[in-house]
Amino acid sequence: MKKFFSTALAHGLFWQLIGILVGAGLVTGIRATMGLSVTAKFFFTEPAWVLGGFFGVLFFIAGSGAVSDWYKWARGIDTPEHHEDHHTGWEKYLSVSLDHKVIGIQYTVTALVLLSLGGLFALIFRTELAQSQLQFLTVEMQLFGQNGPQLYNTLMSLHGMIMIVSILLGVAGIMNYVVPLLLGAQDMAFPRLNAFSYWIAVPAAVLLVMSLILGGFDTGWTGYPPLSARAPVGMQMFFLGVFTAGWSSILGALNVIVTVVRMRAKGMTAMRMPILVWASVATSIIALTATQLIGLSFQLVMFQRLFGMGFFDPAKGGNPVLFQHLFWFYSHPAVYVFVLPGLGVISELLPVFARKPLFGYRWIAMSSLGIALVGFIVWAHHMFTSGMNEYLRVPFMYSTLLVAIPTGVKFFSWVATIWKGKISYETPMLFVIGAIVVFLMGGLTGPPNATVSTDLHLHDTYFIVGHFHDTIFGGFVFPFFAALYYWFPKATGRRMNETLGKIHFWLMTPSFFVMTLGMMRIGLLGMRRRIADYDPALGFDNTHLVLTIAGFLIAISVCVFMYNFFNSIKNGEKAEGNVWNSRSPEWQVPSPMPAHNYDQPFEVVGEPYDYGLPGSKYVEFIAPSKNTHK
Amino acid sequence: MRHFVVVGILVIVMAVLTYVGLDSAGLMPVEASAQSVSIDWLWNWQIVAISFLFALIVVPMAYSMVIFRRRKGDITDAEHVEGNTTLEITWTVIPLFIVLTFAYMGAYSLGETRRVDPNAMVIKVKAQQFTWTFEYPEYGGFFSNELHLPVDRQVVLKMESSDVIHSFWVPEFRVKQDVVPGRVTEYRITPTLIGSYKVRCAEICGTSHSYMENAIIVEDESVFTAWASEQETIMLASQTPESLGKILTVKNGCVGCHSIDGTQLTAPTWFGLYGSDVPLADGTTVVADDAYLAESILNSTAKLVEGFSPTTMPAYTLTDVEVANLIAYIKTLK
Amino acid sequence: MSHTQDKSSALGQGVVIFVYLAVLTILEYFVAVTFSAVSILVVVAVIKLALVMYYYMHIYKLNEESDSDTHSYSYKTGSNRLGLWLFLLSDAFVFAGLLTVRINLLGLTRPHLNQLLGLGVTAILLISSFFMNRGETLMANGDKKGFINNAIITFVLGLGFLLGVVAVEWPTAASEGLTPGSGAAGAVFYMMTGMHAFHVFTGLIFLLVVINNARKDVYSAEKHWGIEAAAVYWHFVDLVWIIFYPALYLIGKLLA
Ligand code: HEA
Ligand code: HEA
Ligand code: HEC
Ligand code: CUA
Ligand SMILES: [Cu+2]
Repeated sequence: MKKFFSTALAHGLFWQLIGILVGAGLVTGIRATMGLSVTAKFFFTEPAWVLGGFFGVLFFIAGSGAVSDWYKWARGIDTPEHHEDHHTGWEKYLSVSLDHKVIGIQYTVTALVLLSLGGLFALIFRTELAQSQLQFLTVEMQLFGQNGPQLYNTLMSLHGMIMIVSILLGVAGIMNYVVPLLLGAQDMAFPRLNAFSYWIAVPAAVLLVMSLILGGFDTGWTGYPPLSARAPVGMQMFFLGVFTAGWSSILGALNVIVTVVRMRAKGMTAMRMPILVWASVATSIIALTATQLIGLSFQLVMFQRLFGMGFFDPAKGGNPVLFQHLFWFYSHPAVYVFVLPGLGVISELLPVFARKPLFGYRWIAMSSLGIALVGFIVWAHHMFTSGMNEYLRVPFMYSTLLVAIPTGVKFFSWVATIWKGKISYETPMLFVIGAIVVFLMGGLTGPPNATVSTDLHLHDTYFIVGHFHDTIFGGFVFPFFAALYYWFPKATGRRMNETLGKIHFWLMTPSFFVMTLGMMRIGLLGMRRRIADYDPALGFDNTHLVLTIAGFLIAISVCVFMYNFFNSIKNGEKAEGNVWNSRSPEWQVPSPMPAHNYDQPFEVVGEPYDYGLPGSKYVEFIAPSKNTHK
Repeated sequence: MRHFVVVGILVIVMAVLTYVGLDSAGLMPVEASAQSVSIDWLWNWQIVAISFLFALIVVPMAYSMVIFRRRKGDITDAEHVEGNTTLEITWTVIPLFIVLTFAYMGAYSLGETRRVDPNAMVIKVKAQQFTWTFEYPEYGGFFSNELHLPVDRQVVLKMESSDVIHSFWVPEFRVKQDVVPGRVTEYRITPTLIGSYKVRCAEICGTSHSYMENAIIVEDESVFTAWASEQETIMLASQTPESLGKILTVKNGCVGCHSIDGTQLTAPTWFGLYGSDVPLADGTTVVADDAYLAESILNSTAKLVEGFSPTTMPAYTLTDVEVANLIAYIKTLK
Repeated sequence: MSHTQDKSSALGQGVVIFVYLAVLTILEYFVAVTFSAVSILVVVAVIKLALVMYYYMHIYKLNEESDSDTHSYSYKTGSNRLGLWLFLLSDAFVFAGLLTVRINLLGLTRPHLNQLLGLGVTAILLISSFFMNRGETLMANGDKKGFINNAIITFVLGLGFLLGVVAVEWPTAASEGLTPGSGAAGAVFYMMTGMHAFHVFTGLIFLLVVINNARKDVYSAEKHWGIEAAAVYWHFVDLVWIIFYPALYLIGKLLA
């Protein structure tokens, strides 16, 4: 316990609390001198909470020590380039570290925590949905200043956003841990920025959870005004939280791009980079640029609430549909932020377990960029019924459908990769296969949404909910698990239990199919999204009950995983060599990875995936004597 | 070669089975409008394409997983095949072609749903938290919370929202259109099947979004006309404060939140309200007399009822006479 | 440096570019008050952007070959430069978003603002960029004193701009009825100028930091990435104003 209180996490959280009090106190003081009201339903007034939330983030980051080197630089004090971690053991992971491997693990574990939290919320509201009528989230009940249906809305909206933040952190986790290793770099290009990007995500998560307590909000994760301009104070905490998580995402992406451009090993030309690196670059291009727009759209609503600025208020000449354009300009490309690394993991692992080169490497690499770029010009397909200018609908339908082509290239190339391979089925491979099939279902249900006339029926139904759980699970959650099983030995020198891994897979996959196919079915028949209760006359009760059970089975499988994950860190079977017999550079050195990565630099001498080519090599370590290090 | 033949046959079998399975599963609700025909037509082709493409990927994958699995003890790699440009181009161009075809079909079917009948009947729709109000200008402009429609005649709904975004959706009609504050959106529909349906608000609009459902009755032209004329007469004949008050509650959508029969909705019920003791959020109670009701109608937050949120009830601008009429009506609810 | 220039020609270039920018700004102003042609305003703004990006922000340096030793100062500066430009690219999306909001809500109309004030603060910011460039050039030639003097002038001008907008222009506009809550025009005006002012504010802090560090002899002719970064950021803030000024003050018909 004492150790815990000396970690950056504990310090940060303490200072965040102080920051909230200081910020809120400041506004309250000013309001008092101006003769305005000083308290409200949730103790402080809304402006006080907003400044408090903001100060909380700043205080957290200052208090955690993640910016202390920058502060020294600003005062003209130089800092040593290599930082050794002061802590060992688990405290290392709760403290500020500049090592990309530690940061990668910090991201990953935080993502798992948020996944559990978001999943828990889902289980709560799924239980309510198991039957029509309201059972425990009733109109009479009150919690955190919300009645049942309101609480449903809050939980549902937070489920959406917490899961999305969890994905962003998970993506950052994989990229952080793996990309420098694949490139042969000692670290990311900007280690301090890297630490900052991680640590800023923690107060962001705290803010998101705070929104639940401060009256919640009832807009869904999309936060459309005018509803979001009227929701309780929780809305502001949600906005601030997402805004802050956005910083994390933007700066992380910047770091990845610079690392890939500047930190590659000798001989690693663009077309010899591991495919996951291509995917990471494509993802980072989107995250770097588009993220600003969700921040801006939320910021504008925040200011509309605080100062009556009428951006989206029709009574003041504002335009509610404008918000949707700004929001989706990010939030559509964002879905490719989720999946591109996932698809990269699939492409990276398939050759290893099929013992065959990746079929059409160049095409797969280029398709990632293609998806990312086309993804920028399709956003309005979320707005076919929104009342936007009608002539925009058909062009956006065309552009959206085009995304199917580069995605298809990946699928066909994957099939060709395993065709006539020598496939083995360790747990990571099972998840890769699961990912492909699930993502295929999600992907193929995309075009009907993208076609305007059918979307007029599908929009805002459980069909869409089914579509995106499929794409997100197939494109991110399954590959994420695959990646965790696959790189776990690299990080810990032990492997996770295979039997538990298989139980995880065989429990999760069928339940998942049942869940999303059921969602799509009731969606087509008239089940709207985001409703706490549904008309019993529709006859959905049985299906909903099955969906709830399936949801719980998924949760149980995730619990199996969690046990396996945390237990194997200490008790897993030792695995220090090239566990999967991979050609990738990180597997050519012993596990766990040495502190400064490769003790000897390597040079790329061949293609990454030349399995089955006798005598070929991807990397060659440069002998210490020939080391040109100055 | 043998592998390809087997897989080819399996793909076709699987695609056909999937399609037949999906087709017989009854995916869509009944088709109750002229507009739904072209949507369902396109949907059917999409199911065909999905079945085929799903089989095209999954079958060769499953086949490889079984046939090309690694045998025990085999530690060699598979054959070294890096790629094939012709194949890559093929599976770029063919999907491109499919996609363009579907986009074209989509545009065509969208056009069908937008086809304008110059004789369409105009109905004005007002959406608000959490109810729909329909106004029939052709019949003297009476208000109703139920939407009655004559069968086989196109109607065009001119929709406005007085607070947040809502969305007009009748699953059996297929088409959906958001209702956005500050602008008028249009919804064209030609009901083709007599029956009762529900308009279900499809855009989250707050606490009781789930309950924002109003009845739709599609009936024979003659039945419809009879109903509409009757409503028109009632409206014109309404002179008593009570009946005028009742019309106001429909027009302003009060009954979207306040029930008149004692069921609990988003707001306190009006049933038996008059004269009762109302518990307030600050712990006190107040007797629901005329003054209290008048105050609550114009400024509902002045005395907040316990257990309700101050932001729920919209602000109304009503004349003194209208308020008096509303109170007169509320008094009748016992 | 690949674009090596001797000191006097580098300083001379700064002056010439400044004169171009000043002339273009005056041109822009007169186009707006006389016949208000949007296309000309756009072209002028684009030319100004290009001049600032190339001559003041030295975008070509991104392309510079650097030392192959990844631990050297020059290699790291190369990485830093790329990082900074990516950051600016990202930031530019916020401003592009604001511009979109402005175009969507106001179209070809503009709020009623004090033209002279607008031109005045624009001129101040432009001049500050000139001194920033001058300071950086001097530092690259090892003239620490020169840098500090010019950076202080930049700082004072920047502060002048900030106060001009926040303490003079805002109250003036508000007293004429344009408040944040008065409608879409007010919302757009305060948001655009406010976000820009916030960037000016951070730029000023950045300037203070490098001035202070220069006094502590942290920088040399070869190693002064901090100054380069502060300068590039400062010019970026100027760049945004090059777009926002015409977008708010010049383009379109005056709103009643
Ligand atoms: C990981 C996330 C992810 C991914 C990858 C996708 C992928 C796609 N999505 Fe999805 N989508 C979401 C997450 C995702 N989506 C979310 C979260 C929402 C809801 C947001 C909200 O409202 O809350 C949503 C909503 C959504 C909508 C809005 C629906 C509505 O609200 O009305 C639309 C409409 O066009 C759409 C389309 C598509 C398309 C065309 C693809 C394509 O990229 C799919 C491409 C893939 C394939 C097509 C399969 C493989 C291809 C082949 C086998 C080749 C041959 C194929 C053909 C010729 C067709 N999505
Ligand atoms: C990463 C993305 C992601 C993931 C993984 C999930 C996972 C799940 N989702 Fe969700 N979902 C979204 C993203 C995601 N979802 C989004 C973006 C929305 C839209 C929101 C909106 O409309 O605004 C949505 C909406 C959504 C809805 C529609 C709600 C509505 O419209 O009213 C439903 C309904 O069934 C649902 C269900 C589920 C279920 C049952 C799971 C299950 O898979 C969950 C399984 C459970 C776990 C993974 C947790 C297991 C762990 C534990 C139980 C341990 C707990 C322990 C501790 C906390 C210490 N989700
Ligand atoms: C969006 C929901 C909503 C609508 C529409 C609405 N109200 Fe209310 N109303 C509420 C809520 C919630 C309360 C209780 C909270 C409060 O006292 O402010 C309330 C309280 C009242 C009360 C006090 C009731 C009591 O039990 O003490 C009266 C009277 C009333 N409303 C009348 C009206 C009238 C008349 C209209 C239409 C012209 C109307 N309301 C429309 C939500 C609504
Ligand atoms: Cu109205 Cu939902
Ligand atoms: Cu999308």
